[in-house]
Amino acid sequence: MALSFQPVKPLLQTGTNAWSRWFSYAGLGIGVLLLLCSIQMYINIQQLLGGDSPRKDGYDFISISKTITNETMGQLDKNLFTEADMKELGSKPFVEGVSPLLANNFRFQLSGGSLVPFVSDFFIESLDDSFIDTLPPSFKWQAGDDVVPIIIASDFLEIYNVFAPGYGLPQISEATATQLGLQLICYHPDGTRETFRGRVVALSDRVNSIIVPKNFLDWANGKFGTTKEVRASRLYVKTKDANNPDFLSFLQQKSYKVNKDKTKFGRVKQVLQGIFSGLGIFGVLVVVLALMLFSFYLQLMIARSKDNLQLLLVLGYSPNWLSKNVARRFIPVYILVVVCAVVLTQLMQWAFHHFAMFDREELTTPLHWSVFAVAAFLVVLSLVTNYRMVRRLLYKMV
Amino acid sequence: MTITLQDVLPSYFEESRRQQSEVWGKQLVFNKGEYIKIVAPSGSGKSSLTHFLYGMRNEYNGNLLYDKANLKSFTAEDFARYRKDHISIVFQDLRLFPEQTVRENLELKRQLNPFHPPEKITEMAERLGIGSKLSTKSRICSYGEQQRVAIIRSLLQPFDFLLLDEPFSHLDDNNSKKAMELMLEEAKARNAGILFADLERIDFFPWTRLYHL
Repeated sequence: MALSFQPVKPLLQTGTNAWSRWFSYAGLGIGVLLLLCSIQMYINIQQLLGGDSPRKDGYDFISISKTITNETMGQLDKNLFTEADMKELGSKPFVEGVSPLLANNFRFQLSGGSLVPFVSDFFIESLDDSFIDTLPPSFKWQAGDDVVPIIIASDFLEIYNVFAPGYGLPQISEATATQLGLQLICYHPDGTRETFRGRVVALSDRVNSIIVPKNFLDWANGKFGTTKEVRASRLYVKTKDANNPDFLSFLQQKSYKVNKDKTKFGRVKQVLQGIFSGLGIFGVLVVVLALMLFSFYLQLMIARSKDNLQLLLVLGYSPNWLSKNVARRFIPVYILVVVCAVVLTQLMQWAFHHFAMFDREELTTPLHWSVFAVAAFLVVLSLVTNYRMVRRLLYKMV
Repeated sequence: MTITLQDVLPSYFEESRRQQSEVWGKQLVFNKGEYIKIVAPSGSGKSSLTHFLYGMRNEYNGNLLYDKANLKSFTAEDFARYRKDHISIVFQDLRLFPEQTVRENLELKRQLNPFHPPEKITEMAERLGIGSKLSTKSRICSYGEQQRVAIIRSLLQPFDFLLLDEPFSHLDDNNSKKAMELMLEEAKARNAGILFADLERIDFFPWTRLYHL
């Protein structure tokens, strides 16, 4: 027959300080609740703000430029990116790739041809193919080809459609735009010009420019350009998360300018994460305090029951068996406290998802598994710390 | 099963005790089944000896062995097993749980390593005249009654040796005899030895060896 703890239970004097016990249970419950809620909210923020910028293969692509101030105005050296800048950026762990947006270094004009009779000085740029979101197979050019494929920003089409009626020009749909034949007019330094036929092969939401194949621009810069040096005023950065706080603080530190829209969630996320990290830390502190209060209560109980416990040991009760059973007495209470905290956290999550977020798809009503893992860990942690303390005190009595 | 005393002397006793005593500072082996009577006046270390043998204190020079094992090398868990399975004791100061009833006190010991069924508690209590006290808190009981509870408690477990430290100090002759009879029966049932330390010789203890402490 297994040794029963039942007759031993009344020997542990707990009665007179029940209040401190219930206070520590309540404290533990509040601490655990705070901690679990903070974890769940932290995860909610990640899920809500994690995937908002245009992505390709799960990456964010954003363009950065140097901030031009009154002091640096007109100093190309300070406003353009050098090879060293690109290398430094590329070496950062949060950056997956960097590509310069190279511009033409000669005079360039764009004309709509006969259908859209409009000519304007313009610019063209080139970018690594892997950075372009809408890359058709036809976006290729070889020396000698008549037609140069072009990718233009959707924004440009929108702007054109805004001013076109005022100039008596036809408005153009996206489908038509991709069929448009344009004229690319390149000027030699002496003012003579060469015209190429261009064709819009795609519109891009990501790249705010007019993109031509890299080898065309290299060739044209060589042929029409005045300088050989290639420097970029804009860089495209490929990153796992444009809202990564390390990435944002690096950009800030280097005074690089970035599209605010793409990273504004990052700033909000930074603030919210800060708030919930703070709450989480506060929760941890409350848990630690409650555990300490509880350990004082246990120590007091053991001190009060010292004579009885000592006599049990003298009679032949194993100190290990006693410690285990004394610690085990609190398993149901601990589990109850933590389960209550989990249920309240679940209630909070349901209310948040349903009433505050109107059942948005990015979130889920059930709690994240890590909340359950932390809850289970806390139960185990409190039991182990209790067991170790009781054991230490009992072995001292032998 | 043997208990061996190798040159044992309480560290708080002067060296001259070795010469005066038949136990302190001597080589002695007690065998299972032997009845050893130790007679000693107050202050000569009866309780020290039983406490040393039970493993409650270790302020002594020399060695105490249970079989081949030195008590000084026992861990807390070893002592728990030793007291549960091999050695039992009646303390001079009784050591009962004051707030528990007589039966609860006895059951706390019995359940640890049951040698007898629970009914045996009632039977033994009746035999020693405390059957009516089983539901009484032990602190309410007289010293004589408490002493009989302590005696019954020592008989509810298996043991190779039973240590008695002035077990009849609060009992009259008649009750002492009844208790002694019960203890002898129980020792016989286990083929156990008894080590009986008292102020004077007691006629109804059939000792096989006698020592003056």
